[in-house]
Amino acid sequence: MNAALIGINKRKELLLHIDKVGEPLSMVSDLSNADINKEYLIKDIQSVDEELKNFLFSLGCFKGESITIISVLAEIFVISVKDARYSIDADLARAILV
Amino acid sequence: MKIALAGNPNSGKTTLFNALTGKIEHVGNWAGVTIEKKEGAVKKALNRSDRTVTIVDLPGAYSMSPYTSEESITRDFVKNEKPDVIINIVDATNLSRSLFFTTQLLNLDIPVVIALNKSDMTKKKKNSIEVEQLSKLLCCPVVETISIKEDNNGLQKLIATAIIVDGKSQAAPYKGEVENLTDVKSVEKSDVARFAFIKELVAKVEMKSVKSNAQTGQDALDRFVANKWLGIPIFAAVMWGVFSLSQTHVGPFFADLLVGWIDGFYGLVEGAMGSDISPVLSSLLLDGIIGGVGAVVGFLPLIMVLFFLLALLEDCGYMARVALVMDRYFKKVGLSGKSIIPMVIGTGCAIPGVMATRTIKNERQRRTTAMLTPFMPCGAKLPVIALFAGVFFNDAAWVGTTMYFLAIAIIIAGAFIIVHITGEKNARSFFIMELPEYRMPSFKRAAVSMMSRAKAFIIKAGTIILLCNAAVQLMQTFNWQFKVVAEGAESSSILASIASPFAFLLIPLGFGVWQLAAAAITGFIAKENVVGTLAVVYSITNFIDTEELALVAGGSDVAAVMRLTSAAALSYLVFNLFTPPCFAAIGAMNAEMENKKWLWAGIGFQFGMGYVISFLTYQIGTLITTGKFGQGFIYGFIAVALMIAYVTSLVIKGNKKAVMKLNLSVKVT
Repeated sequence: MNAALIGINKRKELLLHIDKVGEPLSMVSDLSNADINKEYLIKDIQSVDEELKNFLFSLGCFKGESITIISVLAEIFVISVKDARYSIDADLARAILV
Repeated sequence: MKIALAGNPNSGKTTLFNALTGKIEHVGNWAGVTIEKKEGAVKKALNRSDRTVTIVDLPGAYSMSPYTSEESITRDFVKNEKPDVIINIVDATNLSRSLFFTTQLLNLDIPVVIALNKSDMTKKKKNSIEVEQLSKLLCCPVVETISIKEDNNGLQKLIATAIIVDGKSQAAPYKGEVENLTDVKSVEKSDVARFAFIKELVAKVEMKSVKSNAQTGQDALDRFVANKWLGIPIFAAVMWGVFSLSQTHVGPFFADLLVGWIDGFYGLVEGAMGSDISPVLSSLLLDGIIGGVGAVVGFLPLIMVLFFLLALLEDCGYMARVALVMDRYFKKVGLSGKSIIPMVIGTGCAIPGVMATRTIKNERQRRTTAMLTPFMPCGAKLPVIALFAGVFFNDAAWVGTTMYFLAIAIIIAGAFIIVHITGEKNARSFFIMELPEYRMPSFKRAAVSMMSRAKAFIIKAGTIILLCNAAVQLMQTFNWQFKVVAEGAESSSILASIASPFAFLLIPLGFGVWQLAAAAITGFIAKENVVGTLAVVYSITNFIDTEELALVAGGSDVAAVMRLTSAAALSYLVFNLFTPPCFAAIGAMNAEMENKKWLWAGIGFQFGMGYVISFLTYQIGTLITTGKFGQGFIYGFIAVALMIAYVTSLVIKGNKKAVMKLNLSVKVT
């Protein structure tokens, strides 16, 4: 997946966020605005990057699995999936819908 | 018989490989240290059969469908090269994820033995795993191992079991039949079912007293060391501590002893040769070979202490947190925290550092990281840093620490420029990295890593450095007519006439003399040569104990011999650290970038960066200390201004490209 495509995706996300402001009721809940220490079930992984989705899958991070935010450090989220801790950035956190 | 070691990243494959074969491959407490497969024979003590057993260590993989290029190495090896047995290393603390890959390996019809590694950690976490039950459910033998332990670690049993299963068939506990392999949905369905199967299986064999998503002391520690504000100061303090111990306190103590022996050896050889030997031969042997090599080897204790401490840092799990702290800054310049790992490895040697860029998926990020990693001060640059810190700055720990942080600053600035030139400033990429658990670092492993680096250092000193020093000594002794250079006419030597034109270019940097230019040039063969050549051209053998030299040379010291001001000395240090690396590292850059344009641009960029930083260091330093600019300011200023103008024009062109790309992507959207 080349960077330009991810760029496109990013813009799509930006547009989504603009929608949020206009229409608060249809707000998409993703990991970036989730609570710390609360177990969530993953609703979907929203990305055009199929390889990234597959990679997250092999870690056990896919629709229906549980995920918990352990800490938020600056712009990094520490998450617990299965029995491991991962650090992910805010962009990725926004791609995980809960 | 051939056994492949396969498993998730950071499950301890290389540690197990080292324990099985007695090799000393690089290990670290984070994911993605091993990027190439490595082979070795199992030690006699662990192999009770009369067969030769070869072990192949593979890079970590989470699944058989690879994401990174090193994961593909693993997949290709087990699929195409058909090892006789696969030892699947399973991290006992993360069964539910690890078994995904395990069940995929079990489908290949190659006998599998599971090494349930880190089995001591499960006990520590008050968890328990029913090994027999696990073995029955997975249809393959399971052996509990603790690869970091010396004995009673299960390794003998592991090899014995692997030999027993060789040639047998392997039943698959989970078939994972896919209706249509070309259909993404159908593959996904099968994989989801695989995870469900594992979940059920793990529930049967694993008893957990604490849920894994509960907050632990480790998480609290993470919040402290990777804190938004404290993260960088803590990293700086840690690095300062490392330099303070290795260059100011512990290192010099041992270095003094070693240098004493080298001086003793020098005296011994001098005495043995007597006075009727040819002066050319005697100075070649004494000043060229023993003096030059001795000057480099004198820094060995400092380097060993530094590598010992860096190995401890890698082993305890802190380095993964550094990557996390740096991600924020790296992201702003188009890189990600992933780029930190090659750079950390680059503190040992730039070659494996550049090779580690392979774990980066994005091509531009990978090439940028390969171009910038050599800015990190590597092991070979340490003697240069130690020499200048010792001679000009009274062994201050701030010199080394500053050089590391200056390197990071240059890397960030460099990445910023590159992302703008390539016109990809709007591109985004994701960052995800597994956070390994902290653990008590092992002094033994650190010692092993230190000794292997020391060995490599000594071998290099005895070969490349020795040859270079001998060549420098000869080129300094003779002129182009192959006559011995007369005293007082040193500048007619071969060395001086080659180095002088370069020296001219270095005047605005504060060190435009042929001796220093020659040392910088030999640095491209190996950076330790800078120290060796300085020793040869100035006939100084002892850089460690500078007070002693002051007595020998009758009141003058090394600083006075080299006739450099502090600002010029710092500038010379900066120049040697931040111009292109040695030829071997440039070769590694060429291999990883896979593009000649990037390679030459990279080398040009490194030269330009080194020149500009060095110019600024000397001129600003001189302005502060003396109140006026140093030599050749105008010429240097013109050169630097031209370089900056050229780079700026490239950036403007790149930004135009970026705007076009953005417009294009808007149209697509």
